[in-house]
Amino acid sequence: MLETTQWITDYFDESSDAIMIFKDAELIVSNRMAHELQEELHMNPKYLVEIADSSVKQKFSSTDDCFNCIIQNKMKQISIPVTLAKNMPHPLPYFMIYNVIDANEHVFSLTLKNRGTINRMDQLAQQRKLTQYVNRAYEDERKRISEDLHDSIAQGVYSAIMGIRRIGDKNISQAELDKLTEVVQSQLNDTLTEVKRMALDVRPSVLDSFGLLAALRVLAKRLQENSGVTIDVIGNADTSRLSNDIQSVFYRIAQEAINNALKHANADEISILVVSHDHFITLEVIDDGEGFDVPAHQVFNGHSLGLMNMNERVKALNGAFNIKSAKNEGTTITVKFPVA
Amino acid sequence: MNPEQPTNLSDNQINYQKIADQIYQTENFDFVGIAIQSQNPPHSIKWSFVAGNSNEKFRKIVLRSGIGIAGLVVRTGKPFWDNNLTEYEYSSKMYTPIAKSETLKTAVAVPIIDMLGLVDGVLLAGYRTHTIVSEKTAQNLSQYL
Repeated sequence: MLETTQWITDYFDESSDAIMIFKDAELIVSNRMAHELQEELHMNPKYLVEIADSSVKQKFSSTDDCFNCIIQNKMKQISIPVTLAKNMPHPLPYFMIYNVIDANEHVFSLTLKNRGTINRMDQLAQQRKLTQYVNRAYEDERKRISEDLHDSIAQGVYSAIMGIRRIGDKNISQAELDKLTEVVQSQLNDTLTEVKRMALDVRPSVLDSFGLLAALRVLAKRLQENSGVTIDVIGNADTSRLSNDIQSVFYRIAQEAINNALKHANADEISILVVSHDHFITLEVIDDGEGFDVPAHQVFNGHSLGLMNMNERVKALNGAFNIKSAKNEGTTITVKFPVA
Repeated sequence: MNPEQPTNLSDNQINYQKIADQIYQTENFDFVGIAIQSQNPPHSIKWSFVAGNSNEKFRKIVLRSGIGIAGLVVRTGKPFWDNNLTEYEYSSKMYTPIAKSETLKTAVAVPIIDMLGLVDGVLLAGYRTHTIVSEKTAQNLSQYL
């Protein structure tokens, strides 16, 4: 029993949060962190008590009709954001938690939690989720390519081999031979088309040899044939001076935006505009589909990088990314990069 | 008549538009389409004859061998049917462009075989409601060819 009391005391003393216990607004006990804050940042416990006090008063004030406070009132404790070391070069944001220990004896505690640490933890969690997603996406991509190779390409070549084996048979008639030749030819044709499609999906070589616009036109044509949705590429921007990275990002964003429009928007028409200006170049993907509520889709949902990934890729290259959409008013995605 | 249908019809060419119309009028399908492989390179397969279409998207679709129910019919030469067409994502192997553009929920497709026994095209018929299709529907549909 004594030992556990010692542990609790140790925990109280070593905690990374500053904890202070008051009785009748007089500081009775505080842990090491609280001492340090008091000494180094000139934190005044009385000042904190006043903040807590006015917060409590606010809570029970009937004239206060702020909506957020209703949510706050549901919490057992009261949390108040405070900033310490306000007049120093690096102000420190904290959460102060007011907790009543013994109401009759007027004993309560104030705990200061470093908001910086909490934010950092949030970031770390987000980053972990992202890394996990990227890894999964990478594996899924490989799985898809592998399946495509096995199901379409290998299958097609195998059938062609079987056909040619039968052509080698001396006992078949001319008519049968003609038919077989045609079958093998069409099988090989299909396979060739598949190989080209796969190569295009993995990395559009047109992008390297003929530039962004040509690559976008090939993409638009293929997706149009695959969906029946009219996809136009408009523009005569000279993209040869753009870096490979920027061209790739333009291409991937156009691809993602068109795919989104086809998947979710039920669009009839999609237009891709590439326009160059004096010192910048823009890409716009406009669809006439159902549109969506943008803010609701801006957080990472753990499944699809979608919007967030687009934004991150553009930001990494000093570009600007914007989505304009409203229910039943279509979607416009704009990407802008500075050009030297 | 669809103005985009192949003009190089030979004498013994079957009137596919008439077949599509006939099926659409006789049976209770919401959509009937016939895709035929072009005689000229790159021998693409397009929906040249349709009945009951709700938009003009079918004109732009180029069928891919092995992809979607119509593509599987072209690849294998065997009938296919599916009662869960709305479930497939755009990237799925079973994603069928014509089903998406015509909002079909269920559909059945049978091969169109030429005199040499080669798959020349595909006849597809489907429902915009959850009307179950089966092998029997496929057999019934083949009767029209």
